[in-house]
Amino acid sequence: MLDRPFGRRTLLRGAGVLGAASLAPWSAGCSDDDADALTFFFQANPEEADGRLRIVEEFQRRHPEIRVRTVLSGPDPMQQMSTFCAGGKCPDVLMAWELTYAGLADRGVLLDLNTMLAQDRTFAAELKADSIASVYETFAFKNGQYAFPEQWSGNFLFYNRRLFAEANVKPPPARWEQPWSFAEFLDTARSLTERDGSGKVAQWGFVDTWVPYYSAGLFGMNNGAPWCTPRMNPQHINFDDDAFIDGVQFYADLANKHQVAPTAADQQSVSTMDLFSAGRAAMAMGGHWRYQTFLRADGLDFDIAVLPTGPMGHGACSNIGTTGLAIAASSARKEQAFEFVNFATGPVGQALIGESGLFVPVLTSAVNSAGFARAHSGVRDLAVLTGGPAHSGYLPITPAWEKIDALVDRNFGPVLRGTRPATSLRTGLSSAVDEVLRNP
Amino acid sequence: MTPIDETVTPGAGAAKGRRRPARQRARAGRMFVTPNLAAIAVFMLFPLGFSLYMSFQKWDLFTPAKFVGLANFRHLFTADPLFPIALRNTVVFTVGTLVPTVLISLIVAATLNRKVKGIGIFRTALFLPLAVSSVVMAVVWQFVFDTNNGLLNIMLGWIGIGPIPWLVDPNWAMVSLCIVSVWKSVPFATVILLAAMQGVPDSVYEAAKIDGAGEIRRFFSITVPLIRGALSFVVVISIINAFQAFDQVYVLTGGNGGPETATYVLGIMLFQHAFAFLDFGYASALAWVMFAILLVLTALQLRLGRRNALED
Repeated sequence: MLDRPFGRRTLLRGAGVLGAASLAPWSAGCSDDDADALTFFFQANPEEADGRLRIVEEFQRRHPEIRVRTVLSGPDPMQQMSTFCAGGKCPDVLMAWELTYAGLADRGVLLDLNTMLAQDRTFAAELKADSIASVYETFAFKNGQYAFPEQWSGNFLFYNRRLFAEANVKPPPARWEQPWSFAEFLDTARSLTERDGSGKVAQWGFVDTWVPYYSAGLFGMNNGAPWCTPRMNPQHINFDDDAFIDGVQFYADLANKHQVAPTAADQQSVSTMDLFSAGRAAMAMGGHWRYQTFLRADGLDFDIAVLPTGPMGHGACSNIGTTGLAIAASSARKEQAFEFVNFATGPVGQALIGESGLFVPVLTSAVNSAGFARAHSGVRDLAVLTGGPAHSGYLPITPAWEKIDALVDRNFGPVLRGTRPATSLRTGLSSAVDEVLRNP
Repeated sequence: MTPIDETVTPGAGAAKGRRRPARQRARAGRMFVTPNLAAIAVFMLFPLGFSLYMSFQKWDLFTPAKFVGLANFRHLFTADPLFPIALRNTVVFTVGTLVPTVLISLIVAATLNRKVKGIGIFRTALFLPLAVSSVVMAVVWQFVFDTNNGLLNIMLGWIGIGPIPWLVDPNWAMVSLCIVSVWKSVPFATVILLAAMQGVPDSVYEAAKIDGAGEIRRFFSITVPLIRGALSFVVVISIINAFQAFDQVYVLTGGNGGPETATYVLGIMLFQHAFAFLDFGYASALAWVMFAILLVLTALQLRLGRRNALED
């Protein structure tokens, strides 16, 4: 054998055999996964991901016959979902966001869950009786129900108890029925903003951990102007409403005029979430998705409060931020997927979610449960969370949201940087948005 | 001994024997080329043809494509207010990248084209940015451009210049983008120009030196004209790269080409329409418009280059 030269063909054949051999187990493994498991696509920050997996594990313990494969989303879940689904590999169960799900529902990607509810009338009745109507209806689009909500993720204020006590400032109210004004909020933020000898801010009065242009809109909402009417498929958004504009201007002034909040430039090197976690900000606006992160921050003693109300407002309000679980219309495992969605959004899963402190559940039985209260034992008054959904305004639900979002980002930028007044939204943004809504 | 050699039979029928190995060689050649051709067909020709087909359709990935004729192109040229902005930004970005890249790489290549001890180390160090991924590079530059604590503003502070909002202010965002792009483009351009400079015969320089030409005169009268081919290649490649810029813009200033529309270039516009708005027909039309612009620019540039060569 050794005396024969090693031919080129032998080499190529050998390489071919080796290549095929190495691919065989990989493809077999892949098909195994695809054949058996129910795929569940979701987005979560690291703290949330742990909680999510606990819910999945509990489901698998109760349903050992259904294997669940989780797919954690990257930074742009819509893009990832679209690519998966267009490529014929749509996950069976998909996380749905209130602002973007309509784009998928409108294109037939999501299953109308009413078709499944019709086969399980007991669960349908149970769900309807226990749900918070405004949150449940968020996913009712064009006569279909495209997801069941699993959490309320509206915004409220986190505040640092120690910093408030040290500055001898009264804590903000913890009930939506007890509003505090924009002026009181500004005074509080001013009292809690501290500068060092060089004039550099050492402690901010207020930071925003949400998306700035949505937050500005929420201040507009708290000044008495809804984003739009009606909620579903609106033809006009109130960017030209005086109350909305004043609310946005107040938010922008916090950083640019009153200097109680960091500007965009200040946030380049350190995130607002880190500022609050490190005790370098007294108040932070965000949703419950920040709760676990703040809970794990070393030495942070925080509580929660309601958002301030503007002079034209009709009471404090949050926003109906919610995510739900949807089923892909192309799923080959619709029954199994419905079983999983039932579990996570039904009384059992919601109670578990409440007990784990992962989310604010959206079934009244779970949000008012002792388990949910135990998971938030550090909170002075749970009414901020339990009463949140009932005191929330809505954002528009339209399949054209991605285009609206790009326009809003572009036009709010100069307002939030302080280079243009909020009144510029009336001429620049409002007509452009209306045009997109009319011709998506 | 190769299998092909083994088939050659000497003596009678030698001509037939010679034809057979030639045929076998040709067959082997075709076999080796086939995988490449298949890859080109699958990964280049098919997507090209498909995108041309899609540019006449309205297609959102999920619902069936609908033929709309030239509507996508018509809307792009007559009704999309962002297209002129994206085109203008792309031209500014291209010029802002091309001119400094060519000038800096010429100087750097001329500096490196010397027989100095340890020049290899300098050459290696200069070419390092070529090995860095655009995304990694953009993330690092984000830190450099930080308004309050960034390296660049700290250094400018030493000479008394106040903090510049590099990525936050629309007027500075495009400048920042050009700086990063130049930093990324210079090494490649330098490699090409340096290779061309090393091909210029020493005798020409020596003759010029005897005639009394100084170093700068030699550079502009000998080096630059003799490396014109390479220079032309660098210009074409830089224009193509700048026109297709996407990754560094996406990481540095976001998927909307902000702040406002300051860095809204054609690459970002294409991505946004395809993957955010799911309007693949419109994005394909835009891709073909970009291709047409590049084709015209490249043809024009090559033609000018050829005419200059003939005049010489």
